[in-house]
Amino acid sequence: MNDQTQELRITPQPEEKSHHWYLLTGIIIGIAAGLIITWLLFPVVYQDTSPASLSPAYKEIYRSTIAQVYAATGNLERAASRLALLEDEDVIYALGAQAQRALADGQEKEARALALLASEIQAAIPTETSE
Amino acid sequence: MSRRRRRYIFFFAAILIGLAIGVIYGWVVNPVVYKNTGMDTLRLDYKTDYVLMAAELYQSEGDLASALTRIAYIEASSPLAFVTTCIDYAEQHNYAREDIDIMWYLASDIDTALKATN
Repeated sequence: MNDQTQELRITPQPEEKSHHWYLLTGIIIGIAAGLIITWLLFPVVYQDTSPASLSPAYKEIYRSTIAQVYAATGNLERAASRLALLEDEDVIYALGAQAQRALADGQEKEARALALLASEIQAAIPTETSE
Repeated sequence: MSRRRRRYIFFFAAILIGLAIGVIYGWVVNPVVYKNTGMDTLRLDYKTDYVLMAAELYQSEGDLASALTRIAYIEASSPLAFVTTCIDYAEQHNYAREDIDIMWYLASDIDTALKATN
């Protein structure tokens, strides 16, 4: 028997490593595009804001105007509802602190109006709670 | 489907998923927040109330320059048109007649002053 057969050794092909980095790359590109769209190209536009979102300087102007109107008209209910729009944590403190700043700046009329409104609101609080 | 083609499909699907994540994050979860807005961004009803305040003070003080300065925080270029817009809003939303009249009084004096300067 002529045994010329040769052993054929088939070396198994190493399994092709399947990397999924392209998926991660795609997601990152997508997120980046999404953020560019939402933060730069079409950001949420605030056109109809409330007085609570005003900058501190504008809040002071708004608060001062409310106080001066109160000093002129004496309508405390309307002044209180307007002040509520500013969503101050402590309305009386905000009025008092601004009154002091106005006084320091020589704005006596404004300071008086702010202090008057602060004291009237403070005086009204026990009356409201006792009812 | 060839492996290469499948990879392209998954790649673009991943971009779309990422885009959706980015849009939801940017518009819903963490949108651009304006904390320090100016008075010109106020909603029209708040603007109208502010104009009413300016008008109330004008009625009490009679100082048109101060009234215009107050209005200029919201609208500097055409105060008369702005006050008229606010009066229209007040009339449409059934503000008290006396409040509307106070605003008309201010608008009328602004108009007179503008005509005098032109």
